[in-house]
Amino acid sequence: MDFGLLFDSYFAVWLNPQVLFMTLLGACGGVLLGAIPGMTATMGVALLIPFSFGMDLIPSIGLLLGIYCGGMYGGSISAILIHAPGTPSAAATLLDGYPMSQKGEAGRALSVAMFSSFCGGVIGALVMTFLSPLVADMAMNFGPGEMFMLAVFGLSVIIAISGKSIVKGLISAFFGMALCTVGLDPTNGIPRFISYKQTGLLDGFQFIPTLIGLFAVAEVISGVERIISGEEKQEKSSEKIKKVLPDLSTIKKIWPNILSGGLIGTFIGAIPGAGGDIAVFVSYGASKSASKHPELYGTGIPNGVAATESANNGCSGGAMIPLLSLGVPGDSVTAILLGAFIMKGITPGPMMYISELPTVYKVFAALMLANLCMLIVGCCGVRFFAKIVSVEKKLLYPIILVISLLGAYSINKNVFDVGVCVAFGVIGWLMNKYEFPLSPILLALILGPMCEKNFVRFMNIQQGNFMAIFQSPIAVVFMAIAVAVIIFSVFNQRKINKRMAGASASDE
Amino acid sequence: MRSKTAKKVLSAVVTVAMLAGLMCGCGSSGGSGSYPEKGISVICPWAAGGGTDACLRAFCEAMGKDLGVTLTVDNQTGGGGILGHQAIADAEPDGYTIGMITFELATYEKLGTSELTWEDYDPLCRVNTDAATVTVNAEWAAANNITDLASYIDYCKAHPGEVQMGGSSNASVWHIAGGYLMQETGIDIQMITYQEGAATAVQNAASGFIQGVTVSLAEARSFIESGHLICLGVMDEERNASFPDVPTCKEQGYDITYFTQRGMAIPKNVDPEIKARLEEACAAAAEDPDFIEFMNNNGQTISYMNSEDYTAFLQQSAADVASAMDALGL
Repeated sequence: MDFGLLFDSYFAVWLNPQVLFMTLLGACGGVLLGAIPGMTATMGVALLIPFSFGMDLIPSIGLLLGIYCGGMYGGSISAILIHAPGTPSAAATLLDGYPMSQKGEAGRALSVAMFSSFCGGVIGALVMTFLSPLVADMAMNFGPGEMFMLAVFGLSVIIAISGKSIVKGLISAFFGMALCTVGLDPTNGIPRFISYKQTGLLDGFQFIPTLIGLFAVAEVISGVERIISGEEKQEKSSEKIKKVLPDLSTIKKIWPNILSGGLIGTFIGAIPGAGGDIAVFVSYGASKSASKHPELYGTGIPNGVAATESANNGCSGGAMIPLLSLGVPGDSVTAILLGAFIMKGITPGPMMYISELPTVYKVFAALMLANLCMLIVGCCGVRFFAKIVSVEKKLLYPIILVISLLGAYSINKNVFDVGVCVAFGVIGWLMNKYEFPLSPILLALILGPMCEKNFVRFMNIQQGNFMAIFQSPIAVVFMAIAVAVIIFSVFNQRKINKRMAGASASDE
Repeated sequence: MRSKTAKKVLSAVVTVAMLAGLMCGCGSSGGSGSYPEKGISVICPWAAGGGTDACLRAFCEAMGKDLGVTLTVDNQTGGGGILGHQAIADAEPDGYTIGMITFELATYEKLGTSELTWEDYDPLCRVNTDAATVTVNAEWAAANNITDLASYIDYCKAHPGEVQMGGSSNASVWHIAGGYLMQETGIDIQMITYQEGAATAVQNAASGFIQGVTVSLAEARSFIESGHLICLGVMDEERNASFPDVPTCKEQGYDITYFTQRGMAIPKNVDPEIKARLEEACAAAAEDPDFIEFMNNNGQTISYMNSEDYTAFLQQSAADVASAMDALGL
């Protein structure tokens, strides 16, 4: 570690007006794109890549990282306010964020999300700056067997996000797993449950239209139902937002969640093929399990928001590690960033740390700057965003519906996906009515394909000998944690249900 | 007070947005003859940010310079590229919707996933080809005294079915390249599919989970440079300009050439004059210095072919792909 050079790089990046401007612009765009369901940071980065052709490397990387970090936070805004995660990585934020907003604490939820995003992002950037070679070595050791066990470990969180009934949570999860089997199978391309004529389902149910349907569209249907039956009460923005940052007493409560979330996010983000969408659920599950009052999770406490938002921004730093040190992108955004580097004549990979060290350090500095810009944009926006809650519901629901359907369409420019979105809206509404939790479906949709393709690949490579998994220490560790988590959560859930019988809900 | 500020901010935002809209409308002026009178929509069957998308965006920029209008790339993805390819074939034949067709088009009929073939299009030109390689884990190669293609093939013959090579997703160009390698050399290797793309396959090969990959040099570049992987041969006519030390298979006595290809195409029944104008623009774009620089930086090879040659090429490659897929049992 060359601290002199690191210092110089920070100096050069942070005091360059063009880089500052571009990063701030990126963060603005990222927060807005992230907040709209269906528009993801990936899309923003892909669309802006051509504009960055004319720029130098660092301003264009600043722009793209700004979008990346901004988008990670932006997703939480719509998750908190309208029960529709703007990006897949914000899918766990609504577990506690939306109840907070229903309690009239929308502003508080937003500022907790923003503060946690920033801290998580900083943790990711710090780990990236100081531990890159170490983490990259670890990422290299992830093969099909290890990825399979990581996915199994991720699935073990299902109980923690199931809510009151484990059985209903498992039913949801298995429904999600069953959905994953539709389409061409990932190994040999054999059609399952479809004929080749149904081109819209060749890749199975598209994740983002399904996500938007289950949450946003379902929420709109429930809302309309409430309006018709006259149950809808208009939330007045009685909450006075004095400070845009959370107060000290809140920070004191949530810092352990932020710290663990940031580290979990960085670690999972660093594994190629695993990203923010998995990290947030694992972090949420971990926070809940470690908490003295797990029964409060899901009722709208800041700890839940902090755990998920720090994890998804931690991911951005984590995903950069294999990108820079191995040339292997950690997620879809970094895959596009890889292209941006190559276009400038720099090939990320092991050689980059030897031949392009100043550039590497400047990227570290740019990521830190991007997180700061996200915080600035967030601070300016909190008051405005929180106002959305006080928009009259009769006006708000049609707008949400239109944006949702547009978002579902824009992912693949495919009308079929709009139908998928509406269908899952109805399913989500029915499941809500009968108190089936929706999050396990999402987790299953994220992890199902990862489980399947890595399992089949592992079995192919090992010629069908599953026992070979015990030769991999990483896989064995994940397997052990998964078993421990399942046993622990079942006991925990019993304790929660007992306490729920009497306990009154308040902040932890 | 605050609502006034909010209104001001809102009106400023709206003004900027409308101005931006106006600016998008500009740029569509000039051009030779009556065509083109407006912007052209270009369908890309693959996602934004990928190799096809990058190549196409740069090529459209260059075509736009010659045509004097803006070409807008429209990513219509899904179904392994089928949806986008279908959209090009079904487009209004007025010359205002064109598209990029890729290697995968040759596989659909054989796989039974779609009835689309190259005959559903009027090809304009070939833009780019990237050759497959035989690239293996360096440690594994050293342990088994594999130094060139001949020793690799000998090893594979001595250990039939044991060597595992990664090649991107099922029925993708790199997967089929493995089948072609088996067919031409008579070896028996196991192809492992990587639905998420070449990057994971490369990482798995570099870590030794599998013995090698058949992906392009650009995709394996960072690990070849770091010494984790060595490329035994590239399946091309000539050596790659960015990797002058890597020999071709041909110069090692194995006449194996196999590459992915991308080209521009229009639906059938477009007015011949419009087609001729588009061909002209394609030819000019392939010579554009900005496009050439972009492709070089991106590690992609420009291999322009005019409409006539490209049509013949597509016909030949459809037959080659079918026989290689037979070798893989696809």
